[in-house]
Formats: sequence, C-alpha cells, structure tokens
Amino acid sequence: MKKSPPLKGIRIIDLSHSWAGPHCARLLGDFGAEVIKVEYVKRLCLLRGACKQAAVYNAHPGWLQVNRNKYSITLDLKVEKDRDILRDLIKVSDVLIENSRFGVMEKLGFGYTDAVKIKKDLIMLSMAAFGKTGPYASYSGYGAVFESVGGIQSLTAYEKNGKPVRIKELDVTNGLAGASAVMTALVHRQKTGEGQYIDLSQLEAATHGLIGEHLLEFAMNGTSMLPLGNRHRTFAPQGCYRSLGDDKWITLTIRTDEEWRSFCDVTSHPEWKSDARFATREARTRNHDLLDVMIEEWTGRHTHLQAMQILQGMGIPSGAVLDAEEIRNSVHLKERAYFMNEEDSGMLFMGMPFTLSGSEGRISRRGPELGRDNEYVICELLGRSKKEVRPMQEDQIGTAYDPE
Amino acid sequence: MTKRALSGLRIIDLSQGIAGSYCTKLLSGFGADVIKVERPGTGDRMRALGPFCRNEEGLETSIPFLWFNTGKKSVTLNFETEKGVELLKRLSEVADVIVEDVSPGITSSRGLNYEVLRKTHPGLIMTSISPFGLTGPYSNYNAEEIELNALSGGMYMTGDPQKAPLAAGPALYQYTAGQHAYIATLMALFQRGSRGEGQQVDVSTQESGLEHIEITLSYQLQQKKNGKRGGHLFVPWGTYECRDGYATVISMPYRHWHRSADLFEDPRLFGKKYAGLRDRMALREEYEEILKPCVKARGKRELFHEGQARNLAFGYVAGIDEVLGSPQHRERGFFEEVDHPVAGKHQYCGAPFKMSETPWQTASAPLLGEHNADVYGGVLGCSPEEMQQLADGGVI
Repeated sequence: MKKSPPLKGIRIIDLSHSWAGPHCARLLGDFGAEVIKVEYVKRLCLLRGACKQAAVYNAHPGWLQVNRNKYSITLDLKVEKDRDILRDLIKVSDVLIENSRFGVMEKLGFGYTDAVKIKKDLIMLSMAAFGKTGPYASYSGYGAVFESVGGIQSLTAYEKNGKPVRIKELDVTNGLAGASAVMTALVHRQKTGEGQYIDLSQLEAATHGLIGEHLLEFAMNGTSMLPLGNRHRTFAPQGCYRSLGDDKWITLTIRTDEEWRSFCDVTSHPEWKSDARFATREARTRNHDLLDVMIEEWTGRHTHLQAMQILQGMGIPSGAVLDAEEIRNSVHLKERAYFMNEEDSGMLFMGMPFTLSGSEGRISRRGPELGRDNEYVICELLGRSKKEVRPMQEDQIGTAYDPE
Repeated sequence: MTKRALSGLRIIDLSQGIAGSYCTKLLSGFGADVIKVERPGTGDRMRALGPFCRNEEGLETSIPFLWFNTGKKSVTLNFETEKGVELLKRLSEVADVIVEDVSPGITSSRGLNYEVLRKTHPGLIMTSISPFGLTGPYSNYNAEEIELNALSGGMYMTGDPQKAPLAAGPALYQYTAGQHAYIATLMALFQRGSRGEGQQVDVSTQESGLEHIEITLSYQLQQKKNGKRGGHLFVPWGTYECRDGYATVISMPYRHWHRSADLFEDPRLFGKKYAGLRDRMALREEYEEILKPCVKARGKRELFHEGQARNLAFGYVAGIDEVLGSPQHRERGFFEEVDHPVAGKHQYCGAPFKMSETPWQTASAPLLGEHNADVYGGVLGCSPEEMQQLADGGVI
C-alpha cells in the first residue's frame, strides 16, 4: 500500500509566473505540497494566453500541466486589503516562491525582511533572472537569455564555427534548481526549525546545472571541445541518421571496436571489419564523413524503431528520434504506466519524473480556473467572512499580451 | 562554524555517470558526507574521460571528474571479490543514502539490492538512476547522451527543419536526471525525518527528460498537436547575427516593445502594420527581413544593455571566455578558486543558488582512494592489519 506523499502538510505560496517558478511549485505539488497560486487579474500569466474569455484562458494545455495540483486565488497587491490577505496567508504557509522584477516585492512590503516578520521560519525562494545583486540585478530574462548570456548556447551548433542553436527553454532546469533549493531548506528546517532566504539567479543555476565542466575546461586549458554537432568527443561514429519515413531519424553511438564489428555484422557488411579506415576509434573519427554516408544507407532502409531494436539487440546505444505523438504512443512508457489521469475526470497527463517506492505523486487536479479557490483560501484557510470573497470581475481582466 | 543544511548525512556514491555524480555533488556541496566508491587501480569510469587538465592524461586530471566530484571522499573497493561485497554491505549499514547510476542494479547482482538491505537497515534510502527505468521493454537498452536526447522528445524539435535534428551540446538530460535524483532523495530524507523509514527512488532519465517538453507534450495529450523543429513561435524571439557575433532579441515583456521604437534605425519595425504580436507572427519573414540589417549593424553587448534599459529581455551569445569574465558573475562571486593537489588552482562554478543560512561550499575532488584510511579505519573500525590484508588481497 502506498503511503502519503512526502510533502503532505507543507503549504507553498506561488507568486511566480511564466514557466520556471511555476514548474518548481508544480513538482513540489505533485509530491503532496498544497500549492496556492496567487494571480493578478489585470495581468494574467503568460501561460493563460492572450484571449480574455474564460473558456480559453482556463483551458490552455500548457497551463493545465504547469499549474496542475494548484489552487488559484486572485489578489491585487496594489490594494491594502488584498495585501492583508496575503500577510494572513503567509502566516499559515511554509514556503513563498516569487520571480518578480527587481524591487517589486520590497515595494509591496513582501521582501524577505518583511516576510520573515510575518512568519519567523518562512522559506522564501526568489528566482530573479540574474539574481538579486550585481550590475544586472534589474535585468529580466527568459530561457533564451540565460542560454545565450550564460554561454550555454555557444556550445550547441551543427559544426565547430556554425551558428549557435538554442536547445530550447531552460525553464525546467531552473525550476528544478528552485525545487532543489526548497527541498534543501525544508530538510534544514526539519532539523533546526530555522527558515531562510534563497537568492537563485536563473543565469547561475542554468550554468551550474548544464555546463560546469565546460567552463572548467576553458579555465584550465583555454579551449572548449564543443560544439561538435551530433558527434561525440571520444566515440566514433556517432550521429543522427535519416530513417524510413518523413522526417524520421535515428541516433547511434559506437563506443568500442567490438561494437563496430557487431555493427558491421548487423548491417551485412562484414568486409568493413577488415577495412583499416574503420579499424580503430581514431581511424573512424578521421573517416567520419564517409561513415555517415555508409550508415545512412542502412538506416534509410529501416524505420527508426526497427533500427533501434536491431542495434540495441546487439548492445549498441541507439535511439529513435521521437516526436510528441510517438512519445504518447510509446510501448515502453505504456508498460511503465508512465502517463497518469486527473483523479476525477480522467484527463490524460504526463506522469512523474521519478517514483518513490514508499509514497507516490498524484494529479488531483488540472491547472486551476482563475480564482477558483478564492473562497477556500479566504474563508476556510484564513477563517474570514464570505463577504470578503469578491465575485470575478470579467471587465478587469488583462493579459500578458496586452499593449499596456 | 558555518551551518550546513545536510550535515550529519552519509551518502555512499556508486555512480559513474553524470546524473548520479551531479546528484551527489549537490549533496556534498550542501554538507553531506559523500563517499565515492571506486574500482581499485582505475577508479570511477569518468576518470578515464577527457578532456584532461593541461591535456595531461591521468587518473587525477579528468576535467569532468574534477567538476562532478567536488567535496567528495574517495575509497577504493573491488565488487568482484567476496570481501569487497561484504565491505560494501558494511558501508551501506552506516549510510543514509546509496546513489547508483550504472546499468540498473549493479548492487542487486551482488545480493545487495534495496529489498535485502532494508531488512537490516529500514532507514536506508536507495536512489537508482538509469536511462529508461528499472522496468519496461527498454530497461536494458544502452544510451549515451544523444540517445537520451532522441528518446526524450527534445531533439526532434531542436535545430533546423531542413536538417537533421540536433542534440544539445551540454549533457542536458543526464544533468536533469541528476537534479531530479537530488530532489527525490531529499524528499525521501524529509519523509524519513517524520516516519523513520527509507525508500527506493527510481529515476528514469527518459521520463525525467520529458519534463523539458511538458508544454508541447500537453498539447499532444489534450489536443493531439505535434511539436515542430525550428525557431520560437513569437516574433521577434531568437538569435540574430550582429556586428560582432549574435544578439538575442525578444519582444517581451510585450508591453515594453512598442515603447522602444528608438532601439533600431528602421521605423517600420514599430509601425502600425506590425503593431500586434499576431501581426508580426503572420508576417514573420517580411518582418525579420527588416529586423536583420538593423541588428546586424549593432554590437551585441550594446544592444543587450540598451534593450534591458528599456525593460526588454535582450541577451547576446557569450563565448565561454566571456562568461568567465562576466562582471555579473564576478560581483556575485559565482566562480570560486579550488586547489587540487594535482590539477592545481582553478576557477570553478560555486553555488547553484545562494542560501542565506546554510551556504554552499566548494572543495576539491578526491584523489583515488584518498580516504581509505578515514573511512575503513575511522568509520568502519578496521584495524591497520585488516586494511593491509584488504589491500594485499586486491579488495581495496
């Protein structure tokens, strides 16, 4: 029998917006924390989109996923009455997460020095783009900014001096750094009763969690081995090859001479085994371009899943380049019961990024409708009168895409 | 004395890859006592991987090893011997956590699986990281980083639509699995704190990596839409060539864009025709043709600062040399000098985030077997004679 989730009893206020901060709070919510998302009606989160109709802003799949397991309360922190509600909420919470622009929290009276007066053992996580101090403290950023300014983007390209390519958003990497920070602080608080403040610079967290060894290489040797396109710094051949079908691809990595000889057998080219051009790793690296053509001749005759199965059968690392639809239909993920359903409706969701043998993650609800839990928070949690719960004012709604 | 968040915890680190080693690097940086268990003679597999410091190949100069193992202890142990297995069992009995990332269950093949160990040590936490999880048809599949890129869905959407999908340069998926392993381990420790019992953590690097495409995948799950390879949906949002490299030009936060008409020379960029984000998305190519020469004429840092001065989230593609010299990093002390007996003094990234009460600490990676006496003698209480026997028998 599964036991209660690890973070049951922990309450988190999520003041963050976009993706990294909300992702951090989502993961903690998946594993049992009660996450209360504070929303500003006049400027909805980016993930609620540009449309002001509830049927749309409450239904974006990205919103439903990134904010699953959360409660939603709408507050206007420019108004004292609403600031008072937030103060009361902090009193009964454990963690506060925010990623506002420089100085905003302080101006509203919720900087750490103020917040800790409200709740003595509060854990407060700030996820500013460049951190709370330093010459860029007031600068803002999205994944594209950390990836470029952090040096990460310079390491990905099709060839050595090619145009740097983006890996995509680094919000998940930064969200996980945030969740790491909260968990570290919770373990410390459990032991000592002490809360603390965390200044997380998304620039630093993404750098630390992706390219530390490449920065060290440059510090030590003044060079960088990357970018290498799809090739490996040591093993050869490695690449991404066209397979049967439209825009279907497969990767493979030959790590040893033995794997090379298996590859020759499986592709029915025993004559390659005695070919000096491919006998060693060094030789295969020198003749990589030629090998790429020869390999693609074989992969082009198989579907990516067939080719992967054949190569993995010989112990050779190989991966079908899956698109989202293929992931949805993956036999492996199905067998592992990876995908999950929302508890009441059965709506299909991604599962957990890891599993624990003695407890479990859950998807008790999809990302919330705007202000859905105003009454729960104000009356049930804070014990205030129902009169304080204002009806949703549709004409007040603004989005992150409005011109002002 | 500095307070450490994870002081008093002992971790047995059996990992050989990036994922496990990054997880235990984080545990060590926040104060846990991490003991890396390595093969006698050759050590952790990572010690053989370059690049090497000063390009001098050797057991103590692998740059990945030096980065991923800061602050840990090292003991040598031969799993192939009966005595070695017995010693590992004794180590696990005094550990809070075991972390492993070698093909599922190196420990279980030696009768040291979680179910066995927990019988005598119910508080033990075992964190097992593998490419595809401990169960399912791919559980025995092999993977290097590029295969994890392929099977986690990110690669299909990375690169040029006219070319092959492109793998990330950095070890994105192994790092991500390491982060998840750290979080999961702390969740298990947190839960143990209140109920006393440990548990096993199963991290499938593939499933961990799917999180990177959670938004794309949600559109597939709920609306059957598929992600595509190529640039960002919004315009402008991306990397453009400039005078001295590449600039990152982003029209967000959106409300600041139309107030920044003085940023670029061509007034058409902020004209009525392209006023709305939807207008620009509909006329993407036409708009980018006007934008490109404007960006091309500018310097990358100048544009970065001018955009940010107008509250726009601009950036520029920094080379690794520029990152090491970044004034932001310098002022915040992101790089710390670490002295290693063989590699010497160098700048390493320090804290992943700054904690006010329990700060991160960076110490050098261990020499192979540097802590045999500390651990086997000090922790397990082996006598000098016993240790000599173990060494002579090739056990340590």
